[in-house]
Amino acid sequence: MHNLGTVVRFEIVRTLKKKSFWIAALAVPVIAGMVGLIIFFSNKTTDDQTKNLANEQYSLGITDESHLISDQLMGVVKAQKIGNKAEGEAAVKLGKLDAYFYYPGNVSKETVQVYGKDVGFFKNSRYQDLADQLLKQSAASKTDPNLRAILQGTTSYSATTFTSDGQIDKGLLKLIAPGIFLVLFYFMIATFGNQILTSITEEKENRVIEMILATIKPTTLLVGKLLSLILLAFIQMFTILIPIVIGYFVFKNQLSLPNLDLASIPIDPLAVSISAVIFLLSFVMFAGILMTIGAAMPTAKEAGGFMGATFALLFGPLYAAPLFFTSPESPVVQFLSYFPLTAPIPLLLRNAIGNLSLLEAGIASAILLIVTVIVVRIGVRIFRFGALEYSRKLSIKEVIGRKA
Amino acid sequence: MSKETPPLVTVNHFRMDFGKKTVIKDLSFDIRKGETFGLLGSNGSGKTTTIRALLGIYQPTGGELLIDGAPYTVDGSVRLGYLPEERGLYKKENVIDIMTYFGQLKGMKRSEAKEWSLNFLKRVDLGNEASTRLDKLSGGMQQKIQVGIAVMDNPQLLILDEPAKGFDPVNRRLLMDIIEEHQEQGTTVIFVTHQMEEVERLCDRILLLKDGARRLYGTVDEVKDEFGGQVLEIVSDQQVPTNEKLYTIERREGRTTMLTPKAEMLALQRFLLSSGVTYSRFELKRPSLDDIFVDVYGPSAKEEN
Repeated sequence: MHNLGTVVRFEIVRTLKKKSFWIAALAVPVIAGMVGLIIFFSNKTTDDQTKNLANEQYSLGITDESHLISDQLMGVVKAQKIGNKAEGEAAVKLGKLDAYFYYPGNVSKETVQVYGKDVGFFKNSRYQDLADQLLKQSAASKTDPNLRAILQGTTSYSATTFTSDGQIDKGLLKLIAPGIFLVLFYFMIATFGNQILTSITEEKENRVIEMILATIKPTTLLVGKLLSLILLAFIQMFTILIPIVIGYFVFKNQLSLPNLDLASIPIDPLAVSISAVIFLLSFVMFAGILMTIGAAMPTAKEAGGFMGATFALLFGPLYAAPLFFTSPESPVVQFLSYFPLTAPIPLLLRNAIGNLSLLEAGIASAILLIVTVIVVRIGVRIFRFGALEYSRKLSIKEVIGRKA
Repeated sequence: MSKETPPLVTVNHFRMDFGKKTVIKDLSFDIRKGETFGLLGSNGSGKTTTIRALLGIYQPTGGELLIDGAPYTVDGSVRLGYLPEERGLYKKENVIDIMTYFGQLKGMKRSEAKEWSLNFLKRVDLGNEASTRLDKLSGGMQQKIQVGIAVMDNPQLLILDEPAKGFDPVNRRLLMDIIEEHQEQGTTVIFVTHQMEEVERLCDRILLLKDGARRLYGTVDEVKDEFGGQVLEIVSDQQVPTNEKLYTIERREGRTTMLTPKAEMLALQRFLLSSGVTYSRFELKRPSLDDIFVDVYGPSAKEEN
C-alpha cells in the first residue's frame, strides 16, 4: 500500500476544494435554519396576535346573546355593547363602527356573524381572528383549569413499563443509539454513491489511468479512493451536524424545541456493536459493488443505470418496513435480511428494533463479509482489465477468461 | 552503445492472447542500458500491448518481460517515466497540484516535486500557468505537462509512446531537446513513433513489429542492410518500363520511381536510354526508414499514421 497516503490526501484535498461539496454539505443546515426561521416568525406572529388583542385600533361593537364574552375582555378591546344585530350591521355600513360581532344565543349551532369595514384582502381576516380570540379566551376564563387543560390537550403524561427482569424499559429511546447507524448508512450511500462511481470512472474518462497504473498499484488507487470517500462522508456529516447542533442550543427557546436529554438515551453496547459491524460491512460491500460497476463501464453516465438498479435493491426493503416490526420470522423478512444486496437496511432496522438475534446477526455479518471480500477482489480485477477499455463495457466472460 | 552493454529491458518469447485472438507471437528483443530504442509498427501491430505488458498493466500469456532482470513492479528499484499514447490528466485540478501529485507518487517529497514542477513549467513557457485549471489550457500546453510528468524524478527508463502527437513544430523541437537531454544523462529511452525522421535522428536501435511478430530488428544501419541494401531513385518525365532481369520496381510516386537493381548501373542506364527514358536524377542510395516502413506495411499504413 505504498503511496496510499498520497492518494487519500490528493482525493480529499481536491474534493474539499470543490464548491459543489460545500454546497451539498451546507444546504441541509441552511434549509434547516430557514425552516427554523419560518417557525420562529410564525410563532412570533401568533404570540403577537394574542398580545395585540388590546392594541387593536379600531372601533368595535358587540351583541352577545350567548352571554359567554367576558366584560373584562370587552373592556380590553374597548368594544361597545350594541342592542341588536341590525343596529350593529347598520353602524358598520354607515361607517360609525369599524367592526361589529354578533354572538348568537347558541354558538354551538348558530353562526357567529362578523361585519367590518373593508381594509384589504389580507387585513380583513383580523375581524374574524379577534371574534374567535374573544370567544375562546372568554370561554377559557370561565372554565375550571383542569377541564381547560383536558380540552386544550395540554395534559402531560409519564408512562413507565418494566422488562421481565424488573428493569425500566426505555421504550423508543433504546432505538436511537443503534438506529443512528441506519441513518448514517442511508446518508453515506445516498450522498456518496454517485461520487464513488464518478471517482472510479474519472481516471478512465480523463485518460489518466495508464499513467497512474504505471506508477501505483490498482489496489492502492482503489483503497485510497474508498478511504478518502469514507473520510469525506464523515467531514460532510459533521459539516451538516455542527451548525444544526449549534443552532439547536442557540435557538432552542425561541423555536420552542424539545429538551434533548442525552443522558436518558440508553446505550446497549451489544446492539451498538452489531449495528456498527453491519454498517461497516454494508458500506464497504456497496462501495465495492459501485466500484466494480464503475470499473466495468467506460463512463460514469453509463454506470449510472446500473447504480440505479443497485439502489432499488438496497432501499426496496423500506417498503416492507412494517413487517420488520410485526413479523420478523416471516420468510420475506428472513430473505431480505440474508440476501446481501437487500440485507443492510433490514438488518440495521431489526437490530435497532431489537428483534435481530445474535445468531442471525452473526450469520448475516458472515455473509456480508464473504460477499464484500469477493466483490472487492472482483472489483480490483475488473478495474485492472477494464481500466484501459475507454469506449466499451467489459464483459464478465473477458474478466474470467483473462490471466490474472 | 556497445553490444557488451548489459540490457535494461529483456523480452523473451513474449506471447499475448486476448481471448482467441493472438496479438503478439513469440517476440524477443532486448534494450541496452542507456540506449534509445525505437519500437515501430503500424496501428494494431502490437507496440502498445508490448509496452503495457512490460509495465505489468497486462499479464503476458507466455514468455517473460523483464526490466533490470525482474518483472516490473511500481515499487521496484527502477525509476520509470511513461508517456502513454492514450493520455490525459485530471481536468478540473490545477497544473501544479497534478504535477506535485505525480511527483509524490513517483517517490519525490512534496516540496521537491513542487519545486521541480515549477522549474519545468518555466522551461516550457508555462511558468504563469501553475495555478491554472488544466482544462483551461490548450491541448498542446496539456501535452507539455504530460511530458513533464513523464520525465519527472530523473527516470532510468523513459517510455514515450507517440510523444510528439499534437505538438506544433516549435514544441516538437522543444520535446526533442528534452529527450536528448535525458539521453545525455544516460537514460534508457523507448521511443514509439511513426515519425521516421525522429527515429533516424534519435534511435540507436529499432524493432519493427508486424502483426505481433518481429519483422526487423537492429541498429538503423543493420535494419537498412537487412532490408535490402540499396535502392535506385530515378526522376523522369517518362514512365520507367518494367524489366525483371535488370531491376524490380518498388514503387512509383509521380515522376519518381524507386528500383531495386539486379544488374550493373551501366546496364541499367543503357536499357533506360534505349527505351527512350531520359532522367533528371539517377541516384543509388540506401533506403530511408520511411521507405522501409512503407515497404513493410504498405503505403496505406503510413497514411493511417
